[in-house]
Parts: sequence; structure tokens; C-alpha cells
Amino acid sequence: MSEQATVDRNGTTEVGAGRPILKVDNLRVHFPFTRGIIRREHGVIRAVDDVSFELHEGETLGIVGESGCGKSTMARAILNLIPVTSGQVWFEGDRLDSLAESQMHAYRRRLQMIFQDPFSSLNPRMTVGAIIGEPMRVFNLHAGRSRKLEVMRLMDLVGLNPRFLNRYPHEFSGGQRQRIGIARALAVQPKVVICDEPVSALDVSIQAQVINLLMDLKEELGLAYIFISHDLSVVRHISDRVGVMYLGRLVETTESARLYDDPRHPYTQALLSAVPLPNPDTEAQRQRTVLSGEVPSPEMEFTGCRFASRCPIADAECRTTDPTLDGEVHQVACLKAEAS
Amino acid sequence: MLSIEDLRVQFKTDDGIVKAVDGVSFDVRPGETLGIVGESGSGKSVTNLAIMGLVPQPPGRIVGGTAMFHDANLLTMSQSQLCKIRGNRIAMIFQDPMTALNPFLTIADQLTEVTRLHLGHTRRKALDHAIEMLERVGIPAAANRIHDYPHQFSGGMRQRVMIAMALMCKPDVLIADEPTTALDVTIQAQILDLMRELQEDDGTAIIMITHDLGVIANICQRVLVMYAGKIVERADVASLFADPRHPYTRGLLHSIPRIDEGVGEVLTPIEGQPPDMAHLPPGCPFRPRCVHAIDSCQTDEPPVYARPAGGTYRCFVDVDQRTAHHKEAKDE
Repeated sequence: MSEQATVDRNGTTEVGAGRPILKVDNLRVHFPFTRGIIRREHGVIRAVDDVSFELHEGETLGIVGESGCGKSTMARAILNLIPVTSGQVWFEGDRLDSLAESQMHAYRRRLQMIFQDPFSSLNPRMTVGAIIGEPMRVFNLHAGRSRKLEVMRLMDLVGLNPRFLNRYPHEFSGGQRQRIGIARALAVQPKVVICDEPVSALDVSIQAQVINLLMDLKEELGLAYIFISHDLSVVRHISDRVGVMYLGRLVETTESARLYDDPRHPYTQALLSAVPLPNPDTEAQRQRTVLSGEVPSPEMEFTGCRFASRCPIADAECRTTDPTLDGEVHQVACLKAEAS
Repeated sequence: MLSIEDLRVQFKTDDGIVKAVDGVSFDVRPGETLGIVGESGSGKSVTNLAIMGLVPQPPGRIVGGTAMFHDANLLTMSQSQLCKIRGNRIAMIFQDPMTALNPFLTIADQLTEVTRLHLGHTRRKALDHAIEMLERVGIPAAANRIHDYPHQFSGGMRQRVMIAMALMCKPDVLIADEPTTALDVTIQAQILDLMRELQEDDGTAIIMITHDLGVIANICQRVLVMYAGKIVERADVASLFADPRHPYTRGLLHSIPRIDEGVGEVLTPIEGQPPDMAHLPPGCPFRPRCVHAIDSCQTDEPPVYARPAGGTYRCFVDVDQRTAHHKEAKDE
């Protein structure tokens, strides 16, 4: 697919708030794997396979999918933490693979990440002040006393008592540690924050605190989020738009409300119907599409649709023809579903 | 059938004594699914480890209470007596099937051990029975797969193997500790359906420990809500969701994002942090996070009150003034 065509297609399709800040074009991340004692290359795992989307200023794009669908790998590729097999990432008009080392450094400042596990993502030997101050040190921001003040301002912003500056991560609870991780990500005034399962490790009552904090910060600082989660309820709550991934592909993407009210892809429909609702009355009456089988191994070569082996409506055509993500407001990659 | 009375479990830690389970009482009736919901550290897992005789001692200590199972107290039994019941009459499945299965033994070894030990089956008979169980829990080509090792199975399949193992001897009670938490939602739906089917066939009672209120609504008939080692509310599932009485239960229900309600409404989280179990405040342990707290919450521990629609809760405050007679009740 030519670059021009992609620009045109995306240029007219997006429904986000501001202008696009991050654009991903036909991104592929393949991992070769080896087998046997002589470690001969045996095939490739297509962790991310031809994914395109745009993220607009001030927007939250939710990415949902089951484990192994490639959502975290995609995040890592966008951050240039792992090599991209093909395709491009554009950030504020700059093509990522054309950036020199020094420009890459500046790029990382504009794009930060919040991790799932608030225990392993903080250095246990550093004080909270040092953890939050570290990115400022790396980017030479706020020297000396003003750095300490900035750290304290950030702690206050994320709801931590600034007096705890000299405490260590183990003195904090899971939810508070996640706040430390958020403060660290915000320390260098990013434009985009990639949140990879930021609330999955937290208790329900604390989860809501962190979700509200992320939403407040977005308003206040004009951030854009890529919010990766396997929890469909959380994603619906926080996202303006949602993309559903299955085996390395984006299979459906549209505005959040539209996706949950009117899911078109059979995989999205099955995912939504599998979520148990916290309401015993509706649970008792609900008709479910329970998917049989499991996600096939990404080692497989697919000729047709990747979901065909589990799809309740797949036919012979689906096993031979690979659907593309079509549509404008509501994009769906399915031969049987209607895009719009 | 299984009756827990005033169970108390403490742990000795560097910070002091932690009362992980503090006076918990409940019954499990044949064929029902009883849900236990609460946050990490609320004592829901320790309660069930105590029933199974699996609390590490020391640092743990069972300081009081009884757990009567068919007229025998599980808490005072010798380990050899317990071994006859554990895995046989009461079985347990865990959150993480990979660490619960032995990676060095094939599935066949691990499944046949149960019936050879408890039912005295021969190797051949035990193997046939194991294959039959694997088929029942939906493992394709069970006769071939049974000689595989745990790492050769996916997460969902391993949890099926765990369920097969737990149900080998048709137990009276199955304790399921967060059995679907590590699984993807489509696989979770499969496992919940499977548990329901097997329960209908065998009449097994299930104790479902979870933090997911959706799972509770999906599979349970009665629910216990635990906070800081105590049961703070107990009710039928419909009544608990329709009319939660304890401020903690209400807080939980208001703090979960849901896919069945309007977009954009603000979540109302429970403020503050879960309690430090070694230094619980006097009075009600939920008081520091409670929006309805009154003076007596600071000094006295709330007794048990009757819920209008049946069940009980532990709170001085009648949140909606709806209980005509806010009177103390006996806790089951």
C-alpha cells in the first residue's frame, strides 16, 4: 500500500478531538523463532501485523484484546523499545525511523509510559523523590532546588503527600505506587502517555481512584492516552475511541459509545457478551455468545481471517480471504459485518 | 454441611499480630454457590486455607473457632485425618494453575494420584477415570493429551485440568480461589459455564472467592462481603446488588466501571487505602474510609444488624433510614 493512499484513508476517517499527534501506518512486528538443537529459523510470530491508527491531541484511545493479541508489543514498538519489522510511526509529523539518536531522545520525552506492575516498575533502592526526579535529570530539567519543588508539585498533583519525598517504594501501597509511576511519567511534560494495563494489579476500590486521577490529569494537562487493557469495562469508561485487537490485527475501531452499543465484528460481540455483569438479574437472562476453542497460535500461517477458526458466522470464503479494516466512522475487518 | 463458627486466624509479623480472620461464621449448603468477595488482605483466602488445614503454622495460628464438616471439626483434626478429606470430600482450585500443578509430572501422574490415594483405584482404572474427567471438562483428544506436561497446556486448559483434578473424587465442597482471575474473558466465560454444569451434574457446593462482582453476579446464590478479616455484609445475591446496606459494599458497587450503563459518568471510588492489618484503628475498621461514619464508629465495633431483605450487615448507620427497626440481630 502506498504511503499517500494511507494518508488519504486515515485523513478522512478519524473522529477524534484535535489534530493527529501520533500516527501508526501498517505497523508490523514479527519475531523469528527457532526450533531444534541447531536453532534453525523455523518461522515467525506475527505479534503485530499491519496495524494502522491515529491518535489525536487530547484523546484517549483504548486498545482491548486478550493476552497474546499484540497490544503490549505494539506499545513497545511505538516507543521504539523493540525493532519494527515494517511500517511507520509518525509523531507530530516526524517519521520515527528517520530520527537521529539525539532526536530520538527528545521524542521519548514527549511520549511516556505507565506500566502494569507498580511493584517491579519502581527501583526499590531509590526514594520517591529520586524516582520522580530521574526523568528530569535525564532531560536536564529543573536543576537543583527547583527540581525538588517540581517533584513535590507532581506528588501533590497525583494525590501523594509531598512530605513523603524521602520514603521508599515499599512504604507505599499498590495504588500509591501506581501514583508514583504516573508522577514519573508526567515529570517531563509528555504529550502522549501509553498506559499498559495501569489498573489491572489494583484492588477494585483503588482502581477507581487511579482511573479518576488519569481522567483528571488528561483534562488538566491536555494529554492523549493510549490505554491498553484486557478489561472492557475500564476501557469503555476511560476511552473516547476503542480499537479491538485479535492476533496482531486491529479488527474493529470506532468511538467508544458506538463500539459498545453496536459491536459489528463477531469477535467484539463475543468479547462483550463474555464480560460478567455486576447485576444478577441481567446475568440470569443474558444470551451469551460463548466462543469455543482458544486463540490459535500466532506461529500459524493464516490464509483467510484469523478469527475464522472460532467465529460463529464464518464460512468458506472467510477461510480463504483475509479481510481488511474498512469503513470511516466505524471500521471493521470482517467479510460478514458491515462497516460504516 | 460445612459450618464455620467464629473462626479466628492470626499471623505473627514484624509489625505485630495480624488478625487476618477475626470471628468469621458461615454455612455452606449442599449444591449452592457461596461467593466471598473482598480486597487483597481482607481474609477471604486465609479463611479457606484454614478450612483446608493449609495455614502455615508458624507464622500463622488458628486461635479460635470451629469448622464442622459432617460432624467433625476440621480445625482439630490430625494431618492424617485431614488428608482423607482434603482432595477427596473438600477440594480446592487456585488462581494460578501453573504454580498449582507440578511441572515435573505429567497430567496423568497428577490426576491418577488423587483416585489411587483416596479411592484405592488401580493404575489402569485411575487412568481411565482421569481421561473421562478430562473429557468432561472439555479437553480435546484427552486420551493423548493426558501424557503431556502442564507447560504443554494453555492457561485456560490448565485451569480445566485443575478443575478435573479437584472433581476426581466428586467432592461435597469445591473451594475456588479466584479461579478465573488469570484468564482472558472469553476463557473465563467458558470456565464459569463449565463449573455451573459440573455443579448441576454432581451437586457439589462451591465456595467462590473473587474480587470480581461480575463473577459473583454470574454464578453465586449467596454472598459474603469481607473487610479487614470480618464479614461486613451477607445476603442473597439479588438483594445484595439491589440494596447493599454496608457502606463498603456500596462503595465497591459504585467504584466499578460497567459496560451495561451510560458512558461518561464519574466513578465514585472509596477514598483512602486498605487498612494496615497490623495496626487496625479502634472501632469499625472501615471508619477511616467511610463517608457515613458517626461518633460511635470511632470507639465501638458495630454489631450485626438484620438487613431488610434478609441477611445481615455490620454498621451503626442506617444509610437510607429504610430499616424501620435498626435492631441488632443474630448473625446466622
